Amino acid sequence: MASVQNTYQPQFFNVIHPLNDVPEQKCSTEGLGRIRMTRAVRISLGVLRAYLIVMSLMLGYHVLELAGVLHKTF
Amino acid sequence: MRLEELEREEESQLSDETSTNVVLIPEPQGVVVRHRWQKHLLTYLMVFGPGLIVMVADNDGGAVSTYMQAGGQYGLHLLWTLVVLLPICYFVQEMVARLGIATGKGHAAMIYERFGKWWGRFSLFDLLLVNFLTLITEFAAISLALSAMGVSPFISVPVSALGLTLLVIMGSYLRWERAVIALCVLDLTWFVLAFVVHPSWASVARNTLVPTLPLGGVTSSLVFLVIAVVGTTIAPWQLFFQQSCVAEKRLRFADLKWARLDTLIGSLITVTVAGAMMLVGNYGFQRGIVFQDPAQFAGAIMPMLGHFARNSILLLMVNAAVLGATAISLASAWAYGEVRGWEHSLHKKLWEAPGFYATYIVCVGAAAAFVLIPHVPLQLVIVSVQVFAGLILPSAIIFLQLLLNDRELLGDRWVNKPWNNVINWTIIVVLFALSLLLAAQVMLPNLFN
Repeated sequence: MASVQNTYQPQFFNVIHPLNDVPEQKCSTEGLGRIRMTRAVRISLGVLRAYLIVMSLMLGYHVLELAGVLHKTF
Repeated sequence: MRLEELEREEESQLSDETSTNVVLIPEPQGVVVRHRWQKHLLTYLMVFGPGLIVMVADNDGGAVSTYMQAGGQYGLHLLWTLVVLLPICYFVQEMVARLGIATGKGHAAMIYERFGKWWGRFSLFDLLLVNFLTLITEFAAISLALSAMGVSPFISVPVSALGLTLLVIMGSYLRWERAVIALCVLDLTWFVLAFVVHPSWASVARNTLVPTLPLGGVTSSLVFLVIAVVGTTIAPWQLFFQQSCVAEKRLRFADLKWARLDTLIGSLITVTVAGAMMLVGNYGFQRGIVFQDPAQFAGAIMPMLGHFARNSILLLMVNAAVLGATAISLASAWAYGEVRGWEHSLHKKLWEAPGFYATYIVCVGAAAAFVLIPHVPLQLVIVSVQVFAGLILPSAIIFLQLLLNDRELLGDRWVNKPWNNVINWTIIVVLFALSLLLAAQVMLPNLFN
């Protein structure tokens, strides 16, 4: 006599909110120091630094001019 | 017999020591579901938030004004810019989410730790300055919209500042997130307004898919508005905000795909809501309504579209400004707290993270107070914000790009793929060109005339 076996095994998933979960080991900067950059990248960042300083100063001057601060007569 | 007793004593001591040294980690509490689709849906619902909030908050008070002006001055002609901006928004913010999940730290902290103090301080100073100026525009929008509804700025602005403060000092990230998501859902009312103004949907589809120039061709005003649309859709604070928010929510490595979906859905919503704002502005364009700001437009359309349209526009403007203000102030507070090494978390109570909350409150309070100064040149502040944000955005994205290529820190799993780099360098080049164009145009206003 053939017997029928019940092979059904219910699958359950436990969904955990990130704030309730065990903290993960993240990529850490500890002991790495500064990022390694090629010469080209270092030069580009130097140019970017100069560009930002010059443009910020020009913008600041322009805003003060528009606000009438630079042409005030007493 | 004596030996056996000694052995028993030793075993008992060992057992006591073992029991005192073992630290029992409680099993994390979760929700049990039976089906895979339920698991995916529930995980997404638990992870989503940072991507949606950053994108919807991006349509802030200034953005409402810019998109409606774009529609009001050029009809549907600038709709195509939003299609171009959709992938830019997604790719930039996806990198931020990935970096936040991989490191569990904010963007300001990463720049400080990997590029040194000079760049760290410079980025932080730029961020705090441009955020403060943007915050002023948010309170200006609140003041403008509620003044049109008969509420004095001396009531609307302080009450808004108080409300924004109460929103964060509840000592719970989740409470803040839920409240802000509710505000994000209200933003969808722009779609209702877009239907109320009955645009020609065939023209909408055509102008969305095919770039067209308005009748006057390329003018100074058109170039400025296109750059303003780009500057409004991608702002520097968004990079800092989403990374800190992802770190605050402690998203796990496995959550990256859901964080990507969250960012994609957020990008789609921000771009389509921006399109809806342009359609509403287009209603003014078709009827020759000239307006300087959305509040003026809302007043002008009331005889044609009724109180619902007018009040909706004004209240949505307030909603946009409140969303922008909370996200921007938090971006500043998180960044400053990270760099100073303070406790910087919404999970902490007010007295547990005093520096973090003080930064938030000072930003909100000072911007609100600035708006209440009589005869303050708000228009100048708005222009300065756009130019300054346009100026620092490409450099902020360069740091993001360099960090996402930092194999030493991130390993092979998290760094950009070559195709990521091609897309991102293209975005950086385009943004730099626009940044230079914007700066040139502000310095030389008649450049294209």
